[in-house]
Amino acid sequence: MKRRLITYMALPLVWCMVSGQITIGNLFLGLIFGVVVAEPFSKLYRLDEVVTPNGYWLAQIPKKIIYFFVLLKEIIKANIMVAKIIIQPKIDIKPGIIKVPIRTKTNIGITAIANTITLTPGTLTVDISDDKTTLFVHAIDATDPQGVRDSIRDDLEKYVLEAFE
Amino acid sequence: MVDLIETLSIGCLLIGVLALSLGMIGLLRLPDVYNRLHATTKIGTLGAFGVLLSIMIQEFGTSGLSPMGVKALTAGLFILLTSPISGHMISRAAYKMGVDLCEGSILDEYEGERKD
Repeated sequence: MKRRLITYMALPLVWCMVSGQITIGNLFLGLIFGVVVAEPFSKLYRLDEVVTPNGYWLAQIPKKIIYFFVLLKEIIKANIMVAKIIIQPKIDIKPGIIKVPIRTKTNIGITAIANTITLTPGTLTVDISDDKTTLFVHAIDATDPQGVRDSIRDDLEKYVLEAFE
Repeated sequence: MVDLIETLSIGCLLIGVLALSLGMIGLLRLPDVYNRLHATTKIGTLGAFGVLLSIMIQEFGTSGLSPMGVKALTAGLFILLTSPISGHMISRAAYKMGVDLCEGSILDEYEGERKD
């Protein structure tokens, strides 16, 4: 099954969610908009690639839900941490950019880990190395680079590996 | 039941608005572009998400699966997905443009890898 077909089936549903109602008219409108928007980018999104859907994606759904709750918990922790720094009378931070090796291999896994790092306490993904093995992470407190690497590997990457690899 | 929904909704709204105002204070107070992005990506996400969650609770609680609630849910998911990407792109562009880290930065392991 070509990726194009899956995309054109999914985009009308997305349009229905954006407009808030699932009706025949909305599905049809979503299909038109989907084709118009996605077709110019067919190379970028590799729409002609043949993918075979298997049950593995479905089997990962419980893991994805766990990942979502871990993410929410980390976002709240991150907000409390940044808020603490912001409301200090004198801002005293030691920022820096740290190299973080990652174990995820697939594109979606790397995207997930990079976004997760940005949303978690004190870290912001800046770039990825060309061979896709290392992320460059800006940390608001870079006094302990090894600690940052360890916490990313142990607390976040584990869940991303289970949910997206 | 309606009271509970009202309370939860207003609570979420307050958390969201408080987070957004803290984010704006952070944007003004922190020293350089990278630290400011910390404030806007993380706190902005929670702030917008909190406001949308408040709408969602209100709508789903009072009128079931209404269009407004579904829209809020979709917008919340998109914000959760796109806000870190915009933060990453802004910081990467800033670094490639040659914006230096602020004074007091103690480490830059990206320096050697940078080629432009």
